[in-house]
Parts: sequence; structure tokens; C-alpha cells
Amino acid sequence: MSLKLTLDGKVHEVSIVRRRPHLVLRIDGQDHELTELPAEGRGHASMAMGGHAVSFARATVADRQLLRLAGRTFEVGTVDPFSKAGAGGASQDVVRAPMPGAVISVHRRAGEAVARGEVLVTIESMKLQTGLAAPRDGILAAIHRFEGETFEKDEVIATLEPQVDEG
Amino acid sequence: MRKIQSMISTSSADFRRFDRHNRAMLADFRARQEAARHQRPERDLDRLASQGKMRPRERIEKLLDPGTPFLELSSLAANMAYGGDSPSASSIVGIGIVSGREVVIRADDPTVKGGAWYPLTAKKIVRALDIAMENRLPVLHLCDSAGGFLQLQSEVFPDKYMAGRIFRNQSILSKMGVKQLALVFGHCTAGGAYIPGLSDYSVIVRGTGAVFLGGPPLVRAATGEEVSVEDLGGADMHTSVSGTCDYPAATEEEAIHIGREIVAQWDRAKKWDCQRDAPEDPAYDPQEIYGIVPDDIKKSFDMREIIARMVDGSRFHEYQPNYGTTLICGYANIWGYKVGILANNGVLFNDSSLKGGHFIELCNQNNTPLVFLQNITGYMIGKEYERRGITKDGAKMIMAQSCSRVPKFTVMCNGSFGAGNYGMCGRAFDGRFLFTWPNHQIGVMGGDQAANTLAEVKINQMKRNGGGVDEAVVRQLWEETRAAYQEQLSAYHSTSELWDDGIIDPVDTRNALAIAISASLNAPLADPGYGVFRF
Repeated sequence: MSLKLTLDGKVHEVSIVRRRPHLVLRIDGQDHELTELPAEGRGHASMAMGGHAVSFARATVADRQLLRLAGRTFEVGTVDPFSKAGAGGASQDVVRAPMPGAVISVHRRAGEAVARGEVLVTIESMKLQTGLAAPRDGILAAIHRFEGETFEKDEVIATLEPQVDEG
Repeated sequence: MRKIQSMISTSSADFRRFDRHNRAMLADFRARQEAARHQRPERDLDRLASQGKMRPRERIEKLLDPGTPFLELSSLAANMAYGGDSPSASSIVGIGIVSGREVVIRADDPTVKGGAWYPLTAKKIVRALDIAMENRLPVLHLCDSAGGFLQLQSEVFPDKYMAGRIFRNQSILSKMGVKQLALVFGHCTAGGAYIPGLSDYSVIVRGTGAVFLGGPPLVRAATGEEVSVEDLGGADMHTSVSGTCDYPAATEEEAIHIGREIVAQWDRAKKWDCQRDAPEDPAYDPQEIYGIVPDDIKKSFDMREIIARMVDGSRFHEYQPNYGTTLICGYANIWGYKVGILANNGVLFNDSSLKGGHFIELCNQNNTPLVFLQNITGYMIGKEYERRGITKDGAKMIMAQSCSRVPKFTVMCNGSFGAGNYGMCGRAFDGRFLFTWPNHQIGVMGGDQAANTLAEVKINQMKRNGGGVDEAVVRQLWEETRAAYQEQLSAYHSTSELWDDGIIDPVDTRNALAIAISASLNAPLADPGYGVFRF
């Protein structure tokens, strides 16, 4: 398993090569041997890295990891190994009916900007009213079923404008 | 495991409205609970004080290890029965820690009609002893009861699950090696005498405690013999002559100390090795549950939002996130204990039923306790679904669930209508514990549906009889049916009849579940295996 860390916005890949007799880390393809040195107290620590002693201090503030090294403070981030889309469904552009039923009310109109989680249409089925929410932030392209209209399971009820890839 | 990303906006109008609604509902629950626990006629409290007796809750408090939690069960049992004459069904039941051991405490309540057992009192005691058997928890009986409530004896005495079952369960518990201790603070008359009689250990308080099959008035009527309470069944007689009780105590306080010392001698059950991690608070505030559960049973909500406010670190490993999406399945930790959660996010379809059954089998294979979060209007109906075998797919889920070897826990988070109740481990399915939220409703169908059905029958009847349809009559029938139904659907009715182990504050759910899970580990896992699945 390797870990992706960010330092000053740049992503670095870190993996453990071996633990004994010394910890060896492979950072961006290059191996480094590390030895922990006795702690200096007050949050300061040091280690030997490839024969050089390195002094540093680290702190956790809320969710942020901060590192003080060579007179500078760095923020260390971790890259979430799970894709953002993972649990959201195959397509992020359409809102499908989770069950057959009828539309009770339509809350937003085509062309409007909507936020992730915002309820677009309320449906009723099997005695239960369910709000169909936007799967992501975006522009509502169309609503396909309106008040009083019925639909089958998996029918597309609303569509978002396709997302423009900014990357 | 990944942290659930909440989509709730705590500043939205819906959130604020639901929050107000649910907090008002909770305040009502707290008021009812407070009254059931403490509101008694002055006269009954005075009589207790004049006898030098403590109130039952004081006894429990002194018995428990200091600073440990007490999970009270069914605090509102019988709240809608007997005109409110039997608060908490005249009995206090809960799980607590005494001398470092998890135990069931069961106390008579002498502040209500001398502690007489109503039909629901017997039901509550039988349930307490069932809990002791299922989870192998020792039982501490705090005895102070006048015996069965004679006016209702036909509902207390004769049938299989009535008072006799208490003594049957006591015998079986002893056989299983699950210890029982009776602390006799007051009278144990008639059947009640068998509680200390069938306990493995008993302590009796001098002066106020007494055990006999028939009290002095009954003896006089039957044989003409004149005898005092002390001579007939007092502490000294039973601990030095008859051997019915083991230890005499000068005061209630002393009896409690002797009791704690007895419990300290007991061996501890070996808990089975459930996966555990270091406990952690949920990342999202559990109080936000009040703003998530809607103000109308018909409105749905994403149960992931509830899970996020119930589990450690709000982390959830969701199983099959894109399949059978109306049933959420996944692993999480509650106070460190690894559990498999099944939560309704809509009607159960073929795929969600199969997913549920499969996930239950995975948890049985993985020795992971199951937690069911119910908000269910049933299995999907209609031609297409019947043709796809919705009945046999639902049956598979019920089969896997019923035959589970791991402990099961159910929380009634909102609606529980129709057969969905079965698949999701309703009361009939031997879950170790079942807790209810104040907003919960349960029934074969909702109030509106029942009223509509009956109104339609009435209209057809009027048409058949040749007359016109009298709208006013139909309307009245509809209103009356709905009102009657609505009361029966409510959580208060449910808990009154002991269809659950008590109503809890939604915010307390993770704490109640943790105590329940910890208690459940005292019993070994059941044997593996299922019946025949219909494929």
C-alpha cells in the first residue's frame, strides 16, 4: 500500500520498503533510510535521514496536519484514495425514479443552478413521499415528469447539464 | 472506512421545522417518562416512608456500581392501559453493573397498589427473564409485591406466557448457570413467594420482608390459625428455621450491601470475541437527528444521515452501494463494537431484499452483530414485482434474518408497516433488544389507508342497499377509523403493550445499543445454519 501526501500543493507518493533494521521509505521513487532519534520535548522531534540529523515539530490542528521544518511551516495533506464518484451512482447527470409512483411536486425549473443534495422533485409511492435530490452541483437541464404524472422504476425524472471538465 | 458526507443543511427551513417538531415530541416523551417514574399519590409515598422503606429507584441506585450507566427498559409499559393506574407496569427493569458484572435488575414498585402485578407487569417480568436467558445475564430481583392484581387475575395467572412463565424462566435460568439473587424488601405472597424460592441466593430484611404462600388473613380464613407476619414468614424464621431465605439483614441498606457482596462472588461469563476498535464520537452531532426525521410519517429521509450521527467517527463501509439502493447495508462501529447495519431507504424491492439476505449471511459468516434501522412501508407490490418473485425474495431475507446466529438489534426509527417489519427483525424475530423512537408508528397499514379501505366498503354497502351515498356518514366513519387507528399506531401504544424494550431519545440510540451489544456478548453465538431458501 502506498500513501499519497500533498506538501505545498504537490503530490508525493510514499511507500514503506522495509521496517527492519531501519525504516526505509520510498518517496517519489527514491529510497530513504530513516532512524528516529530521542525526542527533544515540547513537540520537537528529530530523525536521521541518510546520515543527516533532521529536527522538526509537528502538530494536529482540527483536521490539519502541520509540520515545522527548517524555519518554515508546511501543511501536509492526504489524498483520499476513494474516488469522489464512488458511492454516487454510475451516472451523475440524471436523476432516476427509485421506485414506481407519481410526482407530488416539482421544486426547480430547467435552467436553474442547483446544489448537490437539493431536492428537485417530490414523488409519492407506496405511501411514502421521497425527495429526489441533485446528485451534484450543476445546471438543471430538464424535468421530465410533472405534478400528477406517473412513472416506472428507473425512469429518468430530471437531467443536469453535462459537466464541463475543467482539468 | 469512509466518513459519510452529510448533505443536510442545518440552516434550511425544513431542518428547523423538523427540529422544532421532534423536540416538542421529545419533551412530551420526557414528561410522560418523568410522571411514570416519579409521580405517585402522596399517601402511597407516606406509607412507604412510615414503614422505613426506600423507593424502588433509590434501592436500584444504591445497588449499582457508582458512576456506571443503567439502561432502563420499557419505562412506559402500560402507559395506555388500566386508565394509567400502573405506571411502568408497576415494575422497573433495566441493565446495569453491580460489583463489576452486567446484570438485569428487576424491581417491584410498592408505590403502586402495593406492588401488585397487573397482566402487563407479568409480561414485563417474563420479558426481563427472557433477556437474561438470551444474553446470559444474572438477575437481581428486588421483591416488594402484594401479589397478582386480583381484579384481573384471569389475565395474570393461567396462560403460557403469564405469571407462571416467570417461575419457569427462573428455573431454566438456574439450570443454564445464570445466577439469580432475590432481595426481599417487602412481602412476597402466593406465587410471588417463589421468586426468592427459585432464586439461587436470597436476602431478607428483618421487620418488613416476608415470604409466604398465604398471608395471615388467608391463614385465618382457611384454618382459623392466628399468626403474625414475622412468625409466619419473617426474616428470622426463614433464615434460621425454614431455610427458604439465606441471609437476614437489619435494614434495606444492609440487604443491598450483602447483595453486592454475593454478586462479587459470582464467576463471570466469558464474552465472545466481537471485533472491537477504540470508541470514537460520531463526527456529526447526534442532536442533528431531530432536524432530519421529518414531521410527517409519509415523508422519507436518507437513513445514511441517521447512521452518520450514530456510529463512530460517522464512518461507514457501505456494501453494494449501487445495488438494491432502497436498503442500505454496511459495516460500522458503535462505541467500538463492529456491527453490520441494515437501514431502509424506501420500499423493499427484489434486489434490495436479496442484498439484505446476502448481507445478513455475510455478517453471520463474519461474526458481526446486526443492527436493523427500520423505516419501512413494506415490500413492493404490483404485477411486475410478483412475477419477479418479490414474495420469495422477501422470504429469503426473512429466512436469513430469522436463522442468524449473531445477536440482532432493532431500532424503530420511523414507520414500520406491513411485512417489511418481518424482514427487518420486528419483535417476533427474537432480536436481543428492540428500541423505539417517539415518532415511530407501527401497523399492518397506515391510518389513511385503513380509513380509505373501510370508507370504500361502507360506500359499496350503501349502494347495494339501494340508497344514495350519505357523504356525512362516510366522512364520520373515515374520521373515526383514522383516529382510532392513529392511536393504535403510535409508539406509546406499542411500548404500552411491550412490543418493544422501551422508547428512547434518538440521541441516546448509540449509547443504548452499545450497552445492549456489550450485554449480548455474554451469550455464545448460536449454531450456524439456515432452512431452505426458495431460489
